[in-house]
Amino acid sequence: MKKFITINVNGQDVECAVEGRTTLGDFIRNEAKLTGTHLGCEHGVCGACTVLVDGRPMRSCITFAASLDGAHVTTTEKLGQDRIGAVLREAFHEAHGLQCGFCTPGMLVTCRDILARHKNPSEETIRYELSGNICRCTGYMNIVAAVKLAAQRLNSDEVK
Amino acid sequence: MSKNLGVGASLLRKEDKRHLAGRGEFTSDLDIPGTWEVAFVRSPIAHGKILEIEAPAGFSGHFFTHDDFPDIKPIRSIPETPGFRPSSYHCFAKDKVRFVGEVVAVCVAPTRGEAEDMAQACFVEYEELPAVVDSLQALEPDTVLLHDDWEKNSFIETSLDVGDIDAVSASAPIVIEREFRMNRHSGVPMEGRAVLTYWDHRLDELVVYSSTQFPHQIRAGLAQHLDIQERQMHVIAPDVGGGFGIKNILYPEEIILSALGMKLDHPVRWVEDRREHFVSAIHAREHLHRIKAYADREGRILGVDADVYVDAGAYSHWPNSPFMETGMVMKNIPGPYDFRNYRARSHTVATNKPPIGPYRGVSRPAACFTIERIIDEIAHAVGKEPFEVRMMNMVKKDQMPYRTVTDLLYDGGDYGECVRQTKELIDLEAVRERQKAPEADGRLIGVGFASFTEQTAHGCGEWVTRGVHVIPGFESCTARLMTDGSLHLLVGIQSHGQGLETSLAQVANQELGIDPDRVSVRHGDTSISPFGMGTFASRSMVMAGGAVARACRTIKAKMAEIAAHMLQCKPDQVSFSDGALHGPTGASVTLEQIGHAGYLRQDGLPSGMDPMIEAVETYEPNIATGVFCYSTQAAVVAVTPETGAVEIIDYAVVEDAGTLVNPMIVDGQIHGGVAQGIGTALFEEIPYSDEGQPLATTFADYIMPGAAEVPHIKIGHMCTPTEHTEYGMKGMGEGGAISPPAAIANAIRDALSQTGAELNETPMTPRRVKAAIDAAQSKV
Repeated sequence: MKKFITINVNGQDVECAVEGRTTLGDFIRNEAKLTGTHLGCEHGVCGACTVLVDGRPMRSCITFAASLDGAHVTTTEKLGQDRIGAVLREAFHEAHGLQCGFCTPGMLVTCRDILARHKNPSEETIRYELSGNICRCTGYMNIVAAVKLAAQRLNSDEVK
Repeated sequence: MSKNLGVGASLLRKEDKRHLAGRGEFTSDLDIPGTWEVAFVRSPIAHGKILEIEAPAGFSGHFFTHDDFPDIKPIRSIPETPGFRPSSYHCFAKDKVRFVGEVVAVCVAPTRGEAEDMAQACFVEYEELPAVVDSLQALEPDTVLLHDDWEKNSFIETSLDVGDIDAVSASAPIVIEREFRMNRHSGVPMEGRAVLTYWDHRLDELVVYSSTQFPHQIRAGLAQHLDIQERQMHVIAPDVGGGFGIKNILYPEEIILSALGMKLDHPVRWVEDRREHFVSAIHAREHLHRIKAYADREGRILGVDADVYVDAGAYSHWPNSPFMETGMVMKNIPGPYDFRNYRARSHTVATNKPPIGPYRGVSRPAACFTIERIIDEIAHAVGKEPFEVRMMNMVKKDQMPYRTVTDLLYDGGDYGECVRQTKELIDLEAVRERQKAPEADGRLIGVGFASFTEQTAHGCGEWVTRGVHVIPGFESCTARLMTDGSLHLLVGIQSHGQGLETSLAQVANQELGIDPDRVSVRHGDTSISPFGMGTFASRSMVMAGGAVARACRTIKAKMAEIAAHMLQCKPDQVSFSDGALHGPTGASVTLEQIGHAGYLRQDGLPSGMDPMIEAVETYEPNIATGVFCYSTQAAVVAVTPETGAVEIIDYAVVEDAGTLVNPMIVDGQIHGGVAQGIGTALFEEIPYSDEGQPLATTFADYIMPGAAEVPHIKIGHMCTPTEHTEYGMKGMGEGGAISPPAAIANAIRDALSQTGAELNETPMTPRRVKAAIDAAQSKV
């Protein structure tokens, strides 16, 4: 049996009938046609599929779309239009915070959440907060560096 | 002087933009109308005969088995090594299954969910056979055979005997006898495998998208296994979410998807899930080394005697076979050390597990683990600081080039200096000082070192020696100047995180003075570039970089002639920089003017010159035996003796990869390699039950290192350019992953030196560490 739902994805209402088992990740990729959200493990561990649901990070691979009728979802594609997200993208580029790019969408969403909650996170805080996102390429060194760089830039913004 | 954008510049990557915008294009992202999805029916048992395969009524046209594709040739990879027993790896299991996860049938449906539902509704009846899961037990005479026509469960046995190990064993005062195990694990890229195929009617060809590291080899391999001419086979590796060797074999699933693409009148796609990845993508390592090492009272190694067992799983894969792992470990156990007596016997064992194949480091993590643990045990036996014993035994600078006891030719460098610099970077003295007082939290601190050499950029001759039947001895590039003076580099290599879209553009800048932003590197598509071998064996920068350099130089000569004609000077008076060609008097022409003349206004060319500014070149280094990167890594650990928990509190790497094209990318490769090595050392394992059932099939039971487990990594570089490659580059992509198991094991040994506990098996989980401490204490 399908359920008719509306989820606002990056500012656009996406309406469709979904099966009970359809995950938010599949909904975003197949119905909203946004393939920036990657499915790395499909059992809620690797974090590649992390998106913001009503402002909070969630694993879209283990969240059912049918449970989110009326929710507002933000995916990696939208982060460029947000000050923290835009600064993070720049910082990931400059600090070489990505290699193959597969975990990157979830990393960016998680890092945006870290910087929304921590003005000046320590290396220890960043590493702890990143513990739900697996990256196989970078050894996390330059992801941590990117978050630090982004925090620095956001703080100097405020000074200006 | 303009800013360096060429060799040596840490240029930011061209490939970042699409990934940061969420616009990468991986195989699962392709949206081709009419695509149906695929789910496999896989064997739930490790070993058995297939009695019956049954699909519900109405599945016709959606469900396929071996009987639907009887003409697909089985995968039979036969290295040119005498005595090798080939396996027939049928893409759909035929008559028998030999590991949990082996493909038995395939279901095709409009969505992945429906295809999975169908796969679940199929019924296969098996007659179970005993599972063979242990490499020693597999070789026992009464053990059931995996392959009925073999006389034992072994792909091949080989041996090596150099010097006089018997004489050494009769007289050596120090004997270290140990067993070292590196258990089965895998590369586990974040993107699993994925394949999409369809018949392109306009071009009359099969299009195969695959998340692979070597599309050209896949094209050849697919054509060999299917009834199709290679001209009708177009393989594309779009964005690939990591490979690490795991996407460097031809998979049965790729062959099946291709066969479906030829049979069905719509595109079909398979996107692997994580469980499938754990049970059916290739695994790695699973080494058992039984070692006797001999030394004198000073700690000088006199010889090593080794029995090497590699649990290679059920089948040999295309193109390299599992003997690659075993052959390489035999050759690499001596490491960077100078000794002349060495005997090794190898066993490449068949068991009811997925095939093993290449994973970053290929056999060297296990070789390094063994020899570096031995070095430390010799040091303990003679009462010396392991650093001193390491230095004493290492190949010296004035011995270079040095031919090892196993016939590897180390081309140059200062191995001892690398160890010394690592000692500085980790601050050995400070750790020794700290160890004098107990830690406030009761933990035990230890430091360990591990060194290695990494053979890279192998030429044709080296691969011939190894007996492989596909010889990846070259790379290729077409350099094509466009009419507006921008440049295409069409390369046979494939890049999946290594940043070659950037670093190869830097090579073009080095040769032609062109802005890397005016260079497009096109890779991963068999219809775009000349044939190439792909990204593995730490070869891409040296091999593809060499091909780019050569192709650019060929068009450069022609461009110089055109410029000389325009500037009324001689070609050898023309210099290239900042996107222009300069004559001796200060006058210059732009790359655009050259491109324009080359294609659109041939009347501007010197008389008699052919139009077009394009060249295809191949490259092979001028030394067939490869160039050797070398490195030493050191770890400081804190061990909690009550629980066996290990935390890495400091980590240092010093490496000599010759000339670095993009140092930022090189450091990134080291970071990632070390993190994977830490996974091997402490976390990652795919154990099997006695029945051959995999016990790690999710990220809940297969622990990947996270940001909190990987420490800050300190890196130092030495630079000994090699004379054998372009610019003096050496490959380095795998190295980071080689040392960590050994360095960390030695650090744990050092931390536990009061108890004498040793860790000689990976991963060194809290349970194993605690057991080692308990065992050592019970001896006291």
